[in-house]
Amino acid sequence: MISVFLETIIQAIGVILVSPLYSGILDKWKANVASRKGQSIFQPYFDIFKLLKKETTVSSNASSIFIYTPYVVFSTYIVISLVIPVVYPEPILLTPTVDFLGGALLFSLAGFLKIIEAMESGSNFVALGSARAASFSFLGESTLITVFFAVALITGTNNPYIEHEFAQIPQYYLALDHILATVAFFMLWLFETGKLPVESSGLAELGMIDDALIYEHSGKPLALLKWGGYMKQYLLGSVLLNVFLLPWGMQLGVLGAMEDIGIMFIKWLFLLFIALVIDTSLAKLRLFKVQDFLAVAFVLSITSLLLSVIQNA
Amino acid sequence: MLNINTGIIDLVSVSILALAFYMQGQAYYKPLIEASGIQSVILAALSTFLGFITGIYDYFVLAIILILLRGIVTPYVLLKALGKKYGEREKIKGVTSLLVVDLAFFFTAVLIIYEFVISKILISTTYGVYELIFPLSLFFQGLYLIASRNSTPAQILGYIEEENALVMFGIFLIPIPLLIEASVFLDVLALVVISSVIIYEKREHTPIDELKG
Repeated sequence: MISVFLETIIQAIGVILVSPLYSGILDKWKANVASRKGQSIFQPYFDIFKLLKKETTVSSNASSIFIYTPYVVFSTYIVISLVIPVVYPEPILLTPTVDFLGGALLFSLAGFLKIIEAMESGSNFVALGSARAASFSFLGESTLITVFFAVALITGTNNPYIEHEFAQIPQYYLALDHILATVAFFMLWLFETGKLPVESSGLAELGMIDDALIYEHSGKPLALLKWGGYMKQYLLGSVLLNVFLLPWGMQLGVLGAMEDIGIMFIKWLFLLFIALVIDTSLAKLRLFKVQDFLAVAFVLSITSLLLSVIQNA
Repeated sequence: MLNINTGIIDLVSVSILALAFYMQGQAYYKPLIEASGIQSVILAALSTFLGFITGIYDYFVLAIILILLRGIVTPYVLLKALGKKYGEREKIKGVTSLLVVDLAFFFTAVLIIYEFVISKILISTTYGVYELIFPLSLFFQGLYLIASRNSTPAQILGYIEEENALVMFGIFLIPIPLLIEASVFLDVLALVVISSVIIYEKREHTPIDELKG
């Protein structure tokens, strides 16, 4: 019982504390590729601490939803980090609360809440970004759910931990439906985390989608939303790594859980390298092409679903 | 069971299907025609592979005919018929919604036909019942390409895609008789002649105004 408790704590801390690091590493690498020295890899932590100390200003139009929702969003991501195999490969304390589909719905809930509270401020930029986020994410969410359906049909369960074990079988890992689902999920990850072919991060208003949602925030809520964004990137990326791309090598036990943080770090360096290559070699898509990008991901996931349905028939 | 032959066949079939989706989203005529040619060449490669693992030489003949007629002659003639205007494109709107409708269409069609017809009737084929979903999907994808586009080249390519699907269906279903090869040969000859004439005559087909009410 105590070991399960410790593993739970290690997983939660591993997600909350380590997640900003990966953004810092990616930014540093991108700067290095562009022959710049770049900021420290710990810059996201400095940003968060700076914002936590600053005062919060709130638009006079905004209701209390605007003030309190960042806390709800942040805690939603913490809940997700307890129910899917993002650090530790065995079920932990709060895992039985939801299954894989429940995890996807929690992601949707966080996205919905972010749009709702952003609209409260009444800013034009935020309205623009909310409209974009809502009109793109309908394809993103459907891809996410379809991928999970496909995986659930193959493995016969909706438990992410069993799927993680299933993915380690070479026959299943190399099966066509798994490969298609992996590609679809990777494209989805690029969209959800604002990577380059879809969205160039920064404050260029013309192309921003997710950044626009936090445009009017300041102080502590902004810090929490940014931190939540890093956690979302980490959670989705770790699902991609642990259930789809590289399911091997996770350790068991309390010591193993600590090792898993390091193992996840190595896996993440691999994923970040792919993201770096894409980020430095592809141009940004036109805004209305983003839906086409997501539609392709959706096509792949549906094909994967079709293959798995018929294989099981 | 996943053996290596099935794996190769599945991968090649999926690449054919992926090219079909690419054609659905492609508005420019030149890459569209080239993609159709590449699709036929991949199909020929599939036929060659099946020839190697079954030892029936008909597959090789089919592959040669496919490469010559659909891989080289048809794209060449279509590009000639289009003229020198290589940057020419069809004005298509809403690629996303087209793709989503397309998916709903072919997903349900394939599932229904597979569940109620194929899995009930066919017990043994030359290469597995499961593989038959690829030609089925390709067939409906070609049908949808014809239905969703206004331009003549895209509709002709949709027709070629359906033909490819039928050939694929044939080579998965039974050891091919000479009849299939002959029909491939004749079909494409007629198709090339007719299609080039139609492309010269009328480049786009708009919905008939009188039927709009």
